[in-house]
Amino acid sequence: MADQLRNRLREERARRSLTQAELAVLVGVSRKTINTVENGVFVPSTVLALQLARALGTTVEELFQLAG
Amino acid sequence: MNTANDVEIADRMSRRRAIVVGLAAVAFIAFQFVDNPFFIVSDPGTQRAVIRRVLWAAYTGALLLGLATGGGLLDRRVRVLVDDEVSRGHYRTASTAGFWIAMATGMLIYLYGGYDLYTGQQAIYLVVTPAVAAALLVFAYLEMRALRSG
Repeated sequence: MADQLRNRLREERARRSLTQAELAVLVGVSRKTINTVENGVFVPSTVLALQLARALGTTVEELFQLAG
Repeated sequence: MNTANDVEIADRMSRRRAIVVGLAAVAFIAFQFVDNPFFIVSDPGTQRAVIRRVLWAAYTGALLLGLATGGGLLDRRVRVLVDDEVSRGHYRTASTAGFWIAMATGMLIYLYGGYDLYTGQQAIYLVVTPAVAAALLVFAYLEMRALRSG
């Protein structure tokens, strides 16, 4: 399923000059979670996707897109 | 509200847990080959085999408990971070891997083991041991991969 999803988490995080750990604190998850989502290893739940979008001040659609 | 310190501690605990789980799995596999390989199968009646059977059950039980509970971290805030949805996903994947290893081993024993080659206890030992080891190794691998900086 992970290969069906593209994300712009790394770019959005970098744009706000946040480290993975800092974003993890904002969202309330571990750095491991941020890392795996960024690398496309893990497909986040809807709740986590919404939390990530809110923490980065963007929308889920901006952060995640279907591949292809 | 989590702090940077919580995230840092969770990172460290996750890494430590992955290493401990991996080492425990290797030790568990090695334990099967020490002294009298597959002792239950080859030598079921002796006192030595009974002691090892109890040790095996205790070791297996402890490993499964550790895998199911995430290792029993005490601080709830850190525990929530260590056992987040990524780790819960890894736990499910590891459990699935263990399940399929158990199925494959069970089928092999059924097909090639013969009718009276193994007792029920021996067959359970042969099915459970590789399944538990596989589940632990898969969990440790997935956790270490997730912790690698990207």
